[in-house]
Amino acid sequence: MSQSSFRGVSTSILYLLIGLIFITPLLWMLSTSFKFESQVFERPFSFVHWGHINWDNYKTILLDTPFLTWFKNSIIVTCLSVLLRLALSVTAGYAFGFLKFKYSGAIFFLMLMTLFIPYQLTLLPQFIAYRFVGILDTRWALIIPNMVDILSIFMVRQFYMSFPRELISAAYMEGSGVIQSFIKVALPLAKTILVTIGLLSFFMIWDQYYQPLIFLKSADLYTIPIGLQSFQTQFGKAYAQQMALACLAIVPVLIIFLALQKQFVESVVSSGIKG
Amino acid sequence: MFVKGYSLERRERRIGLLFALPTVIGFLVFILLPIVAVFLLSISKLDLMSNEFSWQGFKYYSKMIQDSDFWSATRNTALYLVIYVPLTLALGLSMATVLNKKLYMRGVTRTFFIIPYITTYVATLVVWNVFLHPTDGPLNSLLMSLGIAHPPQYMVDRDWALPILAIIGSWKDVGYHCILFLAALQGVSNDYYEASSIDGAGRWQRFRSITLPLISPTTFMLLLITIIGGLQAFNQMALLTKGGPAFSTTTLTYHIYRSAFEFYDFSYASAVGMFLFLLTLVIIVINWQMQKKWVFYQ
Repeated sequence: MSQSSFRGVSTSILYLLIGLIFITPLLWMLSTSFKFESQVFERPFSFVHWGHINWDNYKTILLDTPFLTWFKNSIIVTCLSVLLRLALSVTAGYAFGFLKFKYSGAIFFLMLMTLFIPYQLTLLPQFIAYRFVGILDTRWALIIPNMVDILSIFMVRQFYMSFPRELISAAYMEGSGVIQSFIKVALPLAKTILVTIGLLSFFMIWDQYYQPLIFLKSADLYTIPIGLQSFQTQFGKAYAQQMALACLAIVPVLIIFLALQKQFVESVVSSGIKG
Repeated sequence: MFVKGYSLERRERRIGLLFALPTVIGFLVFILLPIVAVFLLSISKLDLMSNEFSWQGFKYYSKMIQDSDFWSATRNTALYLVIYVPLTLALGLSMATVLNKKLYMRGVTRTFFIIPYITTYVATLVVWNVFLHPTDGPLNSLLMSLGIAHPPQYMVDRDWALPILAIIGSWKDVGYHCILFLAALQGVSNDYYEASSIDGAGRWQRFRSITLPLISPTTFMLLLITIIGGLQAFNQMALLTKGGPAFSTTTLTYHIYRSAFEFYDFSYASAVGMFLFLLTLVIIVINWQMQKKWVFYQ
């Protein structure tokens, strides 16, 4: 082995180790989730007790807690929010970026100006309004505020601003109307940008904690973040079970991330460069 | 043809309005109206039980100014920003610099760096809560076995709690910064480096006088995102410390949450919310003005 490639390998290993140290809490979570409560703070520490692997934490979480209900709720809320957000973003983005209408530029500018407003602020009157309308403590209270997302609309708008006019003109020539040419030509070509927005939105909405915290009371509507919190409050000393629960909460997003990692990274980059 | 084009343009505008309408209504109802409503709430009193409503003028603002908890929350938010913003930016840039090198297993290292960013926040906080357990937690066991007799008490110690929450916030978010910095670094053309190595510039000098200016638009954008994110930090306080010990981690966002949803004082919470809104606005405007001094657009 030549000297330079030896140096390359050793720095590579060094940075890999730094990466491992960075996620130590998560590795510890994984290790602890397979231990008995008495071993959680054991000294000396051992990563795995081969032959004494405790699967009961997972069994308890899956069978004796409402984890599966929380999971179902998270899936429903996240998927519905993402779908509605995509539908609104793509039509609005096409309108603001391609079709245009009177004052569309000014309206869009006003929307952009509100991007930095703290969400904790707008949720205060929404709480009162939802209570008034009677959708407080329903899934709709979680889904509705997610529908209009300025950043998503911005990304679609950018895409359609540079969209070749000829493609749509050709569709008009063939006799398609405005809506028809959107569905047949413009929409299919926006697939990549929609997948990008969908992916980023999925991770963001899956993670939401403040909204269910203030909008939900009924335990059977809890999403994973709020369910986790309720478990932690109720079973503060059941550390190994908490770790199994945290693991189960992380696994679905981790699988999606690992499967679509390249796409995810590109999504973040495209959202950042344009946002 | 000309006539047809004209009517088509009108049709496009009509459909455009139709397409944008749901979003514009949603924007008015869920973003613009709430901002007006927060202001109105802050100068009135609405009893949620009896639905009684009365105007109160700027009473809640003067209550806010006289409230020592409000001032300590402002201080805590400022301290959080002072730690969180530079730490996240520096860490993100360092990680991206590492990933920009030719490394073996670079993909794996990158995955490790990004994982906290994609994992469920509350789940990681549940883990941190046990990981930093002051007496038995794995980190302090390690420190004690290394001969440190009195390791930090983290979330139980009023001097440590807020910095620790800021560090956890950084740890969680830095993957995003890492990805964007890496994209910016990869966009820097090699020609610049080659030219400078002929001039005999050292590595640090090259980084300072070539890399940093060339990626400054990304840095500026991330700076704004990080400041906004820092001002809105909430999860760690709600899950790990409940604003304690001794209010040391009660930031403005947590103060708003407690006022509204524990004491049901929406008027006061709205007044503090307006303050947070103005604070965000001022910080953004100042940074926007300052960008001329250090951001280079090619």
